[in-house]
Amino acid sequence: MTIFFQSLLDGLIAGSIYALFAAGLTLVYGTLHFINFAHGELIMAGAFLAYLFMMPPLLLSPLLSGIFAVTGVVLLALLMDKTVFSRLRNANPLLLLIASLGLSLLLQNLAQVLWGAKIRAFPFPLQRGKVFGPVVITSVQITILWVAALTIFLLYLFLKFSRIGKAVRGVADNPVLAKTFGVESEKIIRIVWVVAAILAAVGGILVAADTNLEPHMGIVNLVRAFAAVLIGGAGNVWGALIGGFIIGLSENLGVLLLPIGYKDAIAFFIIILILLFRPEGLFGTRWGVR
Amino acid sequence: MTNYFLHILVSGEIIALFAMGLQLEIGETGLYNFGHVAFFGIGAYASSLLSLAGLPFLVSLGLALLITGGVTWLIGIPILRLRGDYFGLAMLGFGEITRKIFLNEAWLTKGPMGLPGIPRPSLFGFDIHTLPRFAVFYGILVILVYLMIRHIVRSPLGRVFTAIRDDELSASAIGKNTYGFRKVCLITGALAAGLAGALWAHYITFISPSDFTLNETILALLIIVLGGNWGITGALVSSFFVIGFQEGLRFLPFPDTFGRYIAPVQQMIFGLILVLLVLNRPGNLIKERPASASD
Amino acid sequence: MVKKFVMFVTVICVALFFAGVSHAGVVKIGAVQPLSGNLAVYGQGFKMAIDLATAEINAKGGINGKKLEIVYEDGKGTAKDSVAAVRKLIDINKVPLILGPAASTNFLAVAPICENAHVVLIGAESASPAITKAGAYVFRVFPSDKLQGKGVAELVEKLGYKKVPVLYINNDWGKGLKDVFVANFTKKGGKVLAEIPYDQGKTDYRAQLLQIKRFNPKAAVALVYVKDGAVIFKQAYELGIKTQWIAGSAAKSGKLVKLAGKAVEGLTGTYPAFSNTSPAYKAFAAAWKKKYGDKKIGIFAEYNYDMVHLVARALAKGGATPDGIRKALYKVSKGYVGVTGDKTFDSNGDVGSAYGVWSVKDGKIISKR
Repeated sequence: MTIFFQSLLDGLIAGSIYALFAAGLTLVYGTLHFINFAHGELIMAGAFLAYLFMMPPLLLSPLLSGIFAVTGVVLLALLMDKTVFSRLRNANPLLLLIASLGLSLLLQNLAQVLWGAKIRAFPFPLQRGKVFGPVVITSVQITILWVAALTIFLLYLFLKFSRIGKAVRGVADNPVLAKTFGVESEKIIRIVWVVAAILAAVGGILVAADTNLEPHMGIVNLVRAFAAVLIGGAGNVWGALIGGFIIGLSENLGVLLLPIGYKDAIAFFIIILILLFRPEGLFGTRWGVR
Repeated sequence: MTNYFLHILVSGEIIALFAMGLQLEIGETGLYNFGHVAFFGIGAYASSLLSLAGLPFLVSLGLALLITGGVTWLIGIPILRLRGDYFGLAMLGFGEITRKIFLNEAWLTKGPMGLPGIPRPSLFGFDIHTLPRFAVFYGILVILVYLMIRHIVRSPLGRVFTAIRDDELSASAIGKNTYGFRKVCLITGALAAGLAGALWAHYITFISPSDFTLNETILALLIIVLGGNWGITGALVSSFFVIGFQEGLRFLPFPDTFGRYIAPVQQMIFGLILVLLVLNRPGNLIKERPASASD
Repeated sequence: MVKKFVMFVTVICVALFFAGVSHAGVVKIGAVQPLSGNLAVYGQGFKMAIDLATAEINAKGGINGKKLEIVYEDGKGTAKDSVAAVRKLIDINKVPLILGPAASTNFLAVAPICENAHVVLIGAESASPAITKAGAYVFRVFPSDKLQGKGVAELVEKLGYKKVPVLYINNDWGKGLKDVFVANFTKKGGKVLAEIPYDQGKTDYRAQLLQIKRFNPKAAVALVYVKDGAVIFKQAYELGIKTQWIAGSAAKSGKLVKLAGKAVEGLTGTYPAFSNTSPAYKAFAAAWKKKYGDKKIGIFAEYNYDMVHLVARALAKGGATPDGIRKALYKVSKGYVGVTGDKTFDSNGDVGSAYGVWSVKDGKIISKR
């Protein structure tokens, strides 16, 4: 029973981070209609930039490092859009997909050249986790939970109450409809990139704090995020958030049933199952099915 | 000296088979198969396991192709219901799951230990044990597959493929069962990949799950993007070009300390080429529909 | 674009031309090492040890007056690149002997090629039991895992543990060692609670660790590498798993202690032991310090060093032909005691080894023979 509750907790922690990845990815997918492979590299860049600021010679505090890292990732996302994606606005989504695959390859290997392939960790002191009944949780994990919750809350406020946020959600959910209401699409696209980059960077920093970081960490998290996007239905932010938690939980609880060697394949299984049986997502409308 | 070039030639021939299969799927029919490497792996493992069990080369090769085709037929039933990037993603998942099976089902595949000592090919008592023989035998197969795929592409069947790629809706509107045609295309492409995998296994004589990663699919994708407008011929030529480029890096006088950068730098170059080609030569990859305002 | 490709091809051709030029008065042998890729960290250390031994041999007059030269090729730590590298060494450089690639999968992939081409292949890191039967031209100065798996089982038994789970890296080394361990431990009457594989290079191993926590075992066997081991032991510490960890040889590194700190305090394990007080070892350590200063002696450097010295003797005795070397290797190894102990090859080209126990105490690695 201990293992069940612990897996549940680990699933929630992982899920809260995947939810951030998925929310950003689904906004991009909903607005620009392509699977952005390089979203994984925004995640990776967030983690590595934070690491860069935290380590010598800069030795900034985690909070300050985090803020700088998020800013850096936002700039990176805007740069990617300006140099590559903006030139393919009306192109076939598969072209964008391949361009983003190329960008992903470029960036993760650039990180490997700069930092080497080895696994790194943030310079947090090693601590025993605190024991609460059947579960163990570290203070870093507690921080992760509330940062993730806060980020999701802020995202909710932004999308629900700000005028621009409502417009973003409208475009992501139904671009044709949004167009007819005269929403200025280039501006919306830029905002979508900024929001997606913030979510990816915050999530990337959190996932690195919870586990470790390495140059190829993007792709595996991208797969999880994409599975969550599909669960939620393409373009559906709330669905993606819930999808993130579902993926986190099924990965951590799934290994109680499946052989452990298949843990990383669970997200893929879910992708295939969803695509086959409910391509519009668990919460989605028919939109997004092509 | 010649033998080393023959080795590059044989590697190029194997990759060419693999890439031509993907060219048929992506370039001719628009099936974005990001899990192409799975078929390569299934062909390699099936043929290796059968010939290690004592079957003669041609029998195990034949059975391996049958198995590859059968698996493709099966997974095609659900996955071919998907379109475009959804199909690509599902196949990516299939590729990764296949590798996990190679890795975890050790009772069959010996898992991470890999399969050593795979027998070399032998045709009716004629042993293919030397590089020149490999180069010629595999070369003949490459030419046969090339001619076959080219024949398909130029036949009425190929025109249906093109029609599906360019506008599936209209293709089905004029009464073509697109599901069936896409399946034929996927199986043909998979057979080329399975053949490549089996030939690779019998040539290298050792396979392990780490040989069948997404990187191989990306390499083939790069090859067909480079092959551009020249269709199946382009894929064939650029296979040798890309393999030559990869091997050529060995001869550049890099300082030792640079050694650990070679692999990532090469991948960076591949990534950059993909981006640049998409930006400057989108037509290499996708023939834009005349009116594509729909999505 | 076209211009650049033409330039590129030209550069390759020029490089090819120079690569083919050979010098008189030189004995060339090949080496396939992971100079790039994920084993590159180790590859540099192997190369330093090989270079050190080569320099010593050449300072003492080389091979019957000829200089020994090592032609390095990058195996990138993968099977297919190792194969390409070996083919190049055999066909272009025409070397009679190749210092084989690290990691048993890569070594096993190139072994049949060397065997068919009748070129001697010798390794200093590969532990897979399958290598024993890899061929008449295949040698290694590193002991087979068959011996180490037995060693781990004996250690667990000696420490008085009857039931242990095994966590192992899901690759050739980990699985090979795990199989031998399980067979030997159950034969001694022990019980293996669970066999838990993990993939190399991941950032999160808590799901695997939970499977261990479930048993709340007094001791657990962890057949891990340094980098993965650091992640695993840290996460085990955070999860509050209090157990006696028992590892193999691959985790024995100061780097592990540096990375995982107090999480590995008390960790113990076995390793193929050789004395670090023997005159041979002291001479080696002094030579290393002289050449490389304070750079730490890399993992398995001693084996690489012994390997090159053995090869040089075989080249001097048997001449620079594969068959000459092959026969001479058996003769010169007989009773040869190098830095890593007795290197006498058995009829399969394997060596024996003594096993020692290492443990982490107060942040330092203590080795006992």
